[in-house]
Amino acid sequence: MANQELVSLTIDGREITVPAGTTVFDAARLNGISIPTLCHQQNETPVAVCRLCVVDTGMRAFAAACIRPVEAGLKVTTQSEKIEAARSTIIELLMADHPTPCVRQQHSADCELEGFAKQFGVLDSRYPKREKARPQDDSSLSIFVDHSACILCDRCIRACGEVRHNDVIARQNKGYEASIAFDVNESMGGSSCVSCGECMVSCPTGALTNKHVVVGQHLDRGVSVEVQELLALPVFKGVSGTFLELNRGAVVKRSFKKGEIIFREGEFGSTAYYILEGKVDIFIASPRGHVNTEQEHGGWMNRLKNKLVPRAQHQREGENLRQSYISIDAPVDLAYDNPIAELVPGDLFGEMTCMSFYPRSATVRAAEDCVVLEMLRNVLDVLQKNKNFRAQLDQKYRERALSTHLRSVPIFSSLTPAFIDRLRTRVHLDRFAPGEIIFRQGDAADAFYLVRLGFVKVTEEYPGGELVLAYLSKGGYFGEIGLLGGGVRTATCTALDHVEVVRIGAEDFTQMLQEFPEIDASLRKASSQRQQENQHRFQQVNSVPIDQFLTQGLMEAQSLLVLDLDRCTRCDQCVKACADSHGGVTRLIRDGLQFDRFLIATSCRQCRDPLCMVGCPVGAIRRKGSLEVIIEDWCVGCGACVKGCPYGNINLQEFPVMANPDFSGTPMKANVVHKATSCNLCHDFPEPSCVYACPHDAAIRVSPNKFFSEMLLQERPDES
Amino acid sequence: MRIDKTHRGWAIATALLILLATLIYVFAISRHVSGAFGGTWAGLLFGTAGLALIIFHNLLSLRKKFPTWRIGRSQTWMRAHLWLGILLIPLVLYHASFTLGGGISKVAFWLTAAVIFSGILGAALQHVLPRLMTQRVPFETIYDQIDRVQAQLLKEADELIGGVESEAAKNGLLLFKNEGSGATAVADPEVAAPFAELRNIYQGRIRPFLQKRGDYGNPLYQRRNAKGVFFRLRKLVPAEVHEVLDDLENICEEKRDLDRQSRMHRALHAWLLVHVPLSYALLALVVIHAVIALRYM
Repeated sequence: MANQELVSLTIDGREITVPAGTTVFDAARLNGISIPTLCHQQNETPVAVCRLCVVDTGMRAFAAACIRPVEAGLKVTTQSEKIEAARSTIIELLMADHPTPCVRQQHSADCELEGFAKQFGVLDSRYPKREKARPQDDSSLSIFVDHSACILCDRCIRACGEVRHNDVIARQNKGYEASIAFDVNESMGGSSCVSCGECMVSCPTGALTNKHVVVGQHLDRGVSVEVQELLALPVFKGVSGTFLELNRGAVVKRSFKKGEIIFREGEFGSTAYYILEGKVDIFIASPRGHVNTEQEHGGWMNRLKNKLVPRAQHQREGENLRQSYISIDAPVDLAYDNPIAELVPGDLFGEMTCMSFYPRSATVRAAEDCVVLEMLRNVLDVLQKNKNFRAQLDQKYRERALSTHLRSVPIFSSLTPAFIDRLRTRVHLDRFAPGEIIFRQGDAADAFYLVRLGFVKVTEEYPGGELVLAYLSKGGYFGEIGLLGGGVRTATCTALDHVEVVRIGAEDFTQMLQEFPEIDASLRKASSQRQQENQHRFQQVNSVPIDQFLTQGLMEAQSLLVLDLDRCTRCDQCVKACADSHGGVTRLIRDGLQFDRFLIATSCRQCRDPLCMVGCPVGAIRRKGSLEVIIEDWCVGCGACVKGCPYGNINLQEFPVMANPDFSGTPMKANVVHKATSCNLCHDFPEPSCVYACPHDAAIRVSPNKFFSEMLLQERPDES
Repeated sequence: MRIDKTHRGWAIATALLILLATLIYVFAISRHVSGAFGGTWAGLLFGTAGLALIIFHNLLSLRKKFPTWRIGRSQTWMRAHLWLGILLIPLVLYHASFTLGGGISKVAFWLTAAVIFSGILGAALQHVLPRLMTQRVPFETIYDQIDRVQAQLLKEADELIGGVESEAAKNGLLLFKNEGSGATAVADPEVAAPFAELRNIYQGRIRPFLQKRGDYGNPLYQRRNAKGVFFRLRKLVPAEVHEVLDDLENICEEKRDLDRQSRMHRALHAWLLVHVPLSYALLALVVIHAVIALRYM
């Protein structure tokens, strides 16, 4: 500084000396003279886009003080009638394209633009407003974007690039269409934004606001952790302190004594946990078993009862006895026979519940005194975008979970440890935001995928629409048909929520098939079966009037319960029989869609778009080869499928059991568990009870094809 | 149960059984010289068969009570009940040799007639009413849910009228004082009067109709009258309110459907209130009759 050349100038009549290269704005500021500005901040390179800091330097035009360097002998006037008029016009023009009050002004009354507008008396702009408001973007979990409030000052762009070096935000388009954009015009949530919060802190208006301001959320339990303490933890290395400051209370530290339950399976929640110290046990307390309707002691006079039976005792058609692991919302899978595992410091669990609000998939109990961080979705989102944290989690996954994850898929159960070791370093762990396309139908097939977290929707296009082929949850796999077939994707796979997948490249996939012929054979068989099922669906679509099928959601029905209303005396014997068959809880309602004289009663119809399968935290509901819904033994009775079914065709049934629910060595005790059930067509009997019990010959079970192509076209007997 | 061509086998079998019974009766009567016919071998045969049939018919109730018992499809039971019920007529007549007898026999005879008649009536109703209900009640709901649906309709109607009033009030047409009974216009009478009339008709006719199940005395119960009421209302109120009146009229139509469904449902099942108790009584009586006849006569 001592060697730096000094320059003297006059600002508002005051003689000022500053180092050469200083801007007029800084020179004035250093000497206590305030010049209004919107686009300029001390920690960012000046760009002079708002022109509010104009000053009179005696030249033909006013100069922007933020970029005008000082000169020896320069005479600057910062206040005059003309300058005020220019500034006033600029503010009025900006106000014409700014909602008043904006979100920031509403919540904290510190919108800089509106502050100036008030100061200059131009809150009501004379200029016409934009006819159509610019959009809002609510996709980020931490930051709310309101493009209408953006004045294109570029402060966020410089904050993101110069200050944080993230380079996510930039300008797009020109003139009236100009706006800020994230990556290549992605939504903020779908972009590579790490939610550091720097842009939001820099924004002078309500264009970028903290969601804490928009929707306040904090945890009201545990010990709130100071930002400095959080930043000192390795897990938060690289996370923006600004963000943590703004989201104070969204992450808390909790201590649990040995044996204390952290949460139970089936509970709804909104947080994830990260273990700092100690170990926890994670297990499924619900007994493994499915609901089966059977006669209590045999014989035709006995009532039918619902019983909970494990698959070893009663195997249903399509039951997969080879599945030996249960996928849960944690970095480990649980063995079917002994569903308990241990989580250690550095493990994260409850991600799916936190990100997508699914029920808890397992019960977690402190195995010893432990300390965990409990965090809300916005914090977890930032952590997941943090490279250090992700690398740590991915490493743990590769080391501990990849093996059981692969083995949890029955087809891969024969993979050798050596080959899994090879895969450990070669697989890619990819993440997709809700709605993001993993690959499209017609793309080149270059990888095989295993779902690690979340739900993937598989769809196929056909003339006139899109058909949902499946929803895949953790443990599901996709992409094999394209690899085994012609090298082209036959369906589109989309992330339904926050999805994480294991991507195995085509080369490794081919290697695996060569080394393990039994896997090759099983995959080809499964692939062929999937293709047949899809073919079956398309045949149904093509053989009947598509509008009826699609609009009524009946296309995938295996068997419709059709009531001929000309015969039905509304005696409800069918409903009574159903209830009697299933422990007093009916699985059908004598109400529903009506076609001419036929009523299609409400009972499971194996929908085209099986929404019941979305949200099951343990992947216990799936389709069999025959497309019929099957609920696996490890259903935890959380009711997600009951809520998911738009037709009310899935019920929860209570079963009293003797069990040791917490694997703690305590004696067996009476307990009530819940299991989901849906119509199984009374498959242990030649005829469903509802049809068997109808005294008026009004109820029949029929395939939708037959119904639409034959029955519905028949005239009434006495009209023919 | 609807009787159609699938019943042909049952009809033929029943006709053949009636023919057989008739042949037996003709043969027996030709050999019979005097005294009560019921005590003869043929009379006893007809009586035993009749008693067995009555027991079988009464078992249908039990069959319905336990719909999941695998003891034959319910509709097979029903068909048997229907056709073998007809067979009961000649069996009883042949057993009694077309005489009424006295005491228990007489009562049993008339009870049998009543049971068979009520059964035939029920079969006829079951043949006709389900189709009528399907055709005439487009908004059919589950019978037990009718009260709930009706309450929902009333709520919707209240909201519609409330909406009209608040909209009018917002536009400066302060229409009604809500306290006390009835409504009093407080704005310009010329503007407010039609609204007051709308409210009066709603409170006096439409609301009670929607509130009460049936309400047969209400003019809105008949579609034609209802059309008249709404036609008059449309003339009365400004065109902006016509859409609300359309909705209100549809709600009344739906309520009429519910009433119709209720009425038809009762008709479809009310005969059972006669048929079933009489059947039990008949069973008891014929058992007593059989015991007395075999033990003391």
